[in-house]
Amino acid sequence: MIEIFVTGYGAISSIGNNVEEMLQSLLDEKSGIQKGKLPHSEKQLVGEIHFTNEELIKKFGLKTTGSRTGILGAIAAKEAFANHSINAEIRTGVISGTSVGGMDTSEIEYRNLLEEKPHNVANYQFHSSGNSSEQIAEELGIDGFINTISTACSSAANSIMMGARMIRQGMVDRVVVGGTDGLAGFTINGFRSLMIFDEEWCRPFDESRKGLNLGEGAGFLVLESAKSIEKSESTILARLRGWSNASDAYHQTASSPNGQGATLSMTEALSVAGMKPEEIDYINAHGTATPNNDLSESQAIINVFGSKIPPFSSTKAYTGHTLAASGGIEAVIAILAIQKGYLFPNLNHRNVIEETKLQPITTIQKVNKIRVVLSNSFGFGGNNSTIILSE
Amino acid sequence: MIYVKTASSISHQNSFQKESIWEDLHVLKADSVVISPDYKNYIPAAALRRLSPVLRMAMTAAQECQKAVEVEFDAISVGTALGCLKDTEKFLQTFISAASETLSPTAFIQSTHNTIGGQISLALGNHAYNMTHTQNSLSFEVALIDAMMCCREGKKNVLVGAADEAIDFLELLRNELIKTDRQFTSGASFFVLGSEPTKVSVADCSITFNSIDLSKEVDSFLSKNDLNHSDIDLVLHAGIELDSFKNSMNYEDYSGFHYSSSAFAFHIGHDFLKSVNANNVLIINAQMNEKLGLTLLKK
Repeated sequence: MIEIFVTGYGAISSIGNNVEEMLQSLLDEKSGIQKGKLPHSEKQLVGEIHFTNEELIKKFGLKTTGSRTGILGAIAAKEAFANHSINAEIRTGVISGTSVGGMDTSEIEYRNLLEEKPHNVANYQFHSSGNSSEQIAEELGIDGFINTISTACSSAANSIMMGARMIRQGMVDRVVVGGTDGLAGFTINGFRSLMIFDEEWCRPFDESRKGLNLGEGAGFLVLESAKSIEKSESTILARLRGWSNASDAYHQTASSPNGQGATLSMTEALSVAGMKPEEIDYINAHGTATPNNDLSESQAIINVFGSKIPPFSSTKAYTGHTLAASGGIEAVIAILAIQKGYLFPNLNHRNVIEETKLQPITTIQKVNKIRVVLSNSFGFGGNNSTIILSE
Repeated sequence: MIYVKTASSISHQNSFQKESIWEDLHVLKADSVVISPDYKNYIPAAALRRLSPVLRMAMTAAQECQKAVEVEFDAISVGTALGCLKDTEKFLQTFISAASETLSPTAFIQSTHNTIGGQISLALGNHAYNMTHTQNSLSFEVALIDAMMCCREGKKNVLVGAADEAIDFLELLRNELIKTDRQFTSGASFFVLGSEPTKVSVADCSITFNSIDLSKEVDSFLSKNDLNHSDIDLVLHAGIELDSFKNSMNYEDYSGFHYSSSAFAFHIGHDFLKSVNANNVLIINAQMNEKLGLTLLKK
């Protein structure tokens, strides 16, 4: 069986422009969530990246222009791929997740259309979700397999999973996987219509939680087989051990009260990894801070781990919910936990949820050893994914 | 080997619940419409009212596949190029022109690409692997590649398909962004793959980007599968004209234009092999510049 190694990581979010900055914010317990600074975000608390697209392109020396989603993806993927190079002997692919792709550019143009202002059709060229992945591949100079997964908030986790499966089946040797989403009026208004924003800072797994804060960003890993590493001579950061996706089949947007889909995805990921629940040293939960998700996920964690619940936290109070990027950013956080031996806290937590009484990690903790981390990502449509990373 | 157990399409052809669509294909007229089954037989009336065409079509075709194989699917892989366009446009209009603070969430909820796969899982009560792929004109091919991976991992009844819908807005993009003279159409084609032998197998599917020399790519795909041009009984193609094969047809003549129409070509190829004394069908999807999807079906 082909083992899957992580040999690169990159992330950008409201808590840092790269992995190192993100680690510092995590250690400092410094959230990136604040009042939005753009017309579409100014009414909310959001995890915004305070650079315009043009500033980002210049700052990171990007070749790509395009949508914010593509730009953020290119930045994180470029960091992940920084110590890699194109090699004709290494079949390399890109699999990226996004929820709404280039909507941030489309919605500006569509407003012009509705308001009968000059309408520039060319600005829709970045609309399709598939384009953001092609932008990323072009930025990295990769012309192998390219795919985009769009399963809302589990997109990045599913891209990681797809990449691992392709390596295991010998279809690629190396693959850049993750997810990206730029903040857009479409998603901000969408979540507003669902009335699941918290007007205060979000409080995952807290009894008083009222909803989520949105965020934006991108997180990418480079996955490789051992054979590929012999050629690329890259450094191993971690191993990807398990993965799974399962359907809750309960409701288009709500999670089941018994956490069936999440229970299935965690159980199956453990089985792919050939591990027992007690081998998990830390869970980076999906933990959006909506009343529904956190209760359902807590129930699922109890279903899988029984009375021996590993240390867990949601890091969404740091970054906001970055939608399709969340599984990628959190996979990077999981690897940082393993590398540095820190349990990252669930900020803003005061009281446990009455029904389940699960107590997350609330302050930064240095521990002896974190060997194995389980990371959850759940999306609309009951799309539940779990990945397991280890040293 | 990976076999096709059943095929179901809702399209601008009379394709739904047909033993074989091969004998009854007609070149589409410019004003053709979707030939819709009675969706009420598949979707409760209350739900039906708020479902967009792409969701109705996909859910119905998927349920027809479920009826044919009976056993619960152990994976679902959906491709869509542009997703739920109607609800996307509706929600854009809603929030851009919204006068009040309260917005109806229905269009937003139904706008994300994976609403298609999600609604299929809900309609079937299916808890299995559920994936949504989107890669422009290769969206069906990437969904198919995932489904074939699922089969190789031991899954026995894998639902795979693609769905896209046309909205009037697309006319604004014609020529400048979408290069076609054809009618924009809607379509949903779903299939069940498995390891149990049937009349038709999927031998290979590959995608390439930045393909400059298409005929070279086709040749190397064929030689990888130990085939010559003369072995191919039917080529179904889009975006490329070919004279080196004995029998070829442009599948967009029958599907009209949507970016996942190679799924309908898959259905044509499947039914051709089922009904005609022939062995190999090659689907060449070069709908978009430099992007090439190649799929080989065998008896």
